[in-house]
Amino acid sequence: MAAPILTVQGVSKAFGGIQAVEDCTFDVAPRLITGLIGPNGAGKTTVFNLITGFLRADGGSIRYKGEELLGLHPHEVETRGVVRTFQHLRLWGKMTVLENVLLGCRTPLGDSVVSLFLRPGRVRDEEAAARRRALEVLEFFGLAGRVHEMAEDLAYPEQKLLSMARIFATDAEVLLLDEPTSGLDTDSLGRLVPMVRRLIEHGKTVLLIEHNMELIAQLSDEVVFLHQGRVMARGRAEEITRDPALTEIYFGV
Amino acid sequence: MDLVLQLLATGLVVGSLYALCAIGWGLIYGTTLHFHVAHGAVFALAAYYAYAGQTLLHLPLPVAVVLAIAAAALSGLLIDLLLYQQLERRGAFRTSIFIASLGLLILLENVLAIVFTPDPMRMDIGALNTAVIIGPVFLTYLHILTVALTIVAYGALMLFLKRSRWGQAIRAVSSAPEMARTVGIDLKRVHLLAYAIGSALAAPAGILVAMDVGAEPFRGTRFVLLASVGVIMGGIGSIPGAMLGGVFLGLLENLGIWKLPSEWQSAISFGVFLVFIVLRPRGFFGRTIHSAEI
Amino acid sequence: MTAYFAHYLVMVGIYTILATSLNLLVGYSGIFSLAHAAIYGIGAYASALAALKLGLGFWGGLLVAAVVGALAAALVAIPSLRVAGDYYIVASFGLQVVILTVFINWTSFTNGHAGLPGIPRPSLFGLVIDNPFKYVVLSLALAAVTYAICHRLTASAFGRMLRAVREDEIAAQATGKNVVAVKITITTISSALGALAGSLYAHYITYINPTSFTLDESIFITSLVILGGTERLAGPFVGALILLAVPEALKFLAIPDTVAAPMRQILYGALLILFMFVRPEGILGRARTRPAA
Repeated sequence: MAAPILTVQGVSKAFGGIQAVEDCTFDVAPRLITGLIGPNGAGKTTVFNLITGFLRADGGSIRYKGEELLGLHPHEVETRGVVRTFQHLRLWGKMTVLENVLLGCRTPLGDSVVSLFLRPGRVRDEEAAARRRALEVLEFFGLAGRVHEMAEDLAYPEQKLLSMARIFATDAEVLLLDEPTSGLDTDSLGRLVPMVRRLIEHGKTVLLIEHNMELIAQLSDEVVFLHQGRVMARGRAEEITRDPALTEIYFGV
Repeated sequence: MDLVLQLLATGLVVGSLYALCAIGWGLIYGTTLHFHVAHGAVFALAAYYAYAGQTLLHLPLPVAVVLAIAAAALSGLLIDLLLYQQLERRGAFRTSIFIASLGLLILLENVLAIVFTPDPMRMDIGALNTAVIIGPVFLTYLHILTVALTIVAYGALMLFLKRSRWGQAIRAVSSAPEMARTVGIDLKRVHLLAYAIGSALAAPAGILVAMDVGAEPFRGTRFVLLASVGVIMGGIGSIPGAMLGGVFLGLLENLGIWKLPSEWQSAISFGVFLVFIVLRPRGFFGRTIHSAEI
Repeated sequence: MTAYFAHYLVMVGIYTILATSLNLLVGYSGIFSLAHAAIYGIGAYASALAALKLGLGFWGGLLVAAVVGALAAALVAIPSLRVAGDYYIVASFGLQVVILTVFINWTSFTNGHAGLPGIPRPSLFGLVIDNPFKYVVLSLALAAVTYAICHRLTASAFGRMLRAVREDEIAAQATGKNVVAVKITITTISSALGALAGSLYAHYITYINPTSFTLDESIFITSLVILGGTERLAGPFVGALILLAVPEALKFLAIPDTVAAPMRQILYGALLILFMFVRPEGILGRARTRPAA
């Protein structure tokens, strides 16, 4: 088996007396979909926040391709190649669909004030390239018809797709998807679920938080089961989702 | 050494005034997240309410003061009810609320300046002006009353927040508004309460200063700025922190005079503030600032 | 064109630069600063002193003003923008107070309340700009340059990033944007431009003193931005056109001087409140659809 692309090792985080995550250890294999599951409050989103630098772990190590991510700012983690979506999407509602994706594309020259004034030609070329890329990405996600609409005017399923399009445009290799299917009806699920598989075909690695056990079995290759901040089990999806003890923890409480 | 003791004493008195403003402002900010600069206007209004009560309505001083505090509490509550809550109903951003608050501060201060002129309006405080000499330190009864009142007010506020149902509601809203809403707490009522109490705390500060040196229309701006500095230094969300922050600023300003010319007082406080937020952004007692709820 | 109208236009130009540069912060980045008058003052004093003490001409003074203004803002922005936005409100408030204190009390440098007279007029290729009519051209030209700079900034990937940071900075961080660096950058640029206005002012009036750079002045500049509109870059120009005409209107009503100053402030305060209710996006802004309550 290939070396893991992302390793979480002994990570812990406490908030004001509550141990949200404790001694969390798991690997994420490259070019696979790994599901992060567990009952509510198990700490799944907290783990995402810790990996991406929105929260600072109290201890442990998080490595991406061998490089330590612990202690980096979120934008630095993103630049290294690990990117995430949000449960509440956090799209820029007052900006267009195209702009939302453009912001994901790499535009280091356009973002730099110095380049903006001293190298206008190269900035223009970069922007044109970014636009082409953004339009390709939107095409890939089936949003090409909505390019100039305000993100807040999109239907919810399309907004979910847009939030995935945004991170796909970043060229990051590891995509953390926070409940990508929540709130979707069967039709929309039919649109979105294949997209996640296609991400893998494009060389990405996906770690996703998911509540729906069936979807986990369908979607994930590997599963990590989190409970009260600790990794209870990990392994192939079929094993975990059929394990009666875990199912009890998941539904029991 | 005598000078230092005097400065310490004065610093404690001034610090008490800042602390009163800070705990009131901090209560409001912690509960509503409104950057309520119009708190400075309430501070000024309270002074003029007391002045008007005594000089125009000829009420005895204690009665005038109590009525003024009540009037100030009502004023603060109305500001939230008629201005901020109305803006929020229209979906206003936080910056809009701040701008409206700023506009109100300017408006009220200048109305007071036209009605009462910008000159200090002195009050008759009779026996409170009597000097008290403790060793090399010179104070008046008013100054001692100021410190005592601040301690009492702080104690009363802490007791209220810990023990009473409404106090607990305020604490719930301060730390987790969404959760408070789900357990059935009426956010709007809690906000109004925070404004009433916060303003009732600013009022004695404004009145005490007016009793000492006269009521002035534009003094509130400086006090609300220092209150917010005190709250940040004390740690957002912490009333003890705000108290400490306010007292600390008062001491700092006055001890600063020992070595530096008095015109540089504000520069000292501000400079310390900047250094402070570099070294310890969460303040003395604040929670570590996490990213917003993700 | 009368000399009086020319004077009005010069001031419109100066205030357009001030309000446009403040709009970069308030309108485009969602960062509120109360220190813009202080920055204006820093530019004025830096340029005046460069001319009086170092013999630099207007153009050298402009450069000095921009650099000093940028540095002053960066000094405050760097510690406070790392933390939540409200810290910057307090820090800028404090900066305004402290800078004014410096203007008033560092008398060896600034002459305190007496001010600095005798600031030389600008000259361009030997032509001295010594009357309001010539100054109108200079003032409006610099306003146009400021507009062009701000336009380049806002209509670019950088501008897109600013708007994203304003709307949701957490999403911006997650998308690889260094939010703190962006905020510090825009604050520095905004202040450099605001300081330029100060330089323009100093060499026009040829005399400066601290009373032109108080907190009231910061409020006035803010009113210009709010009135004209934060969404469009031309908003501040419209705001300046309108609000600079107001004192003249008040003069027509023969209001005594002692009352005139507070009355103007009441007007600005009322304006700020009114616009937050009726039209937060200002006169030129696109009306936003308001979210359901």
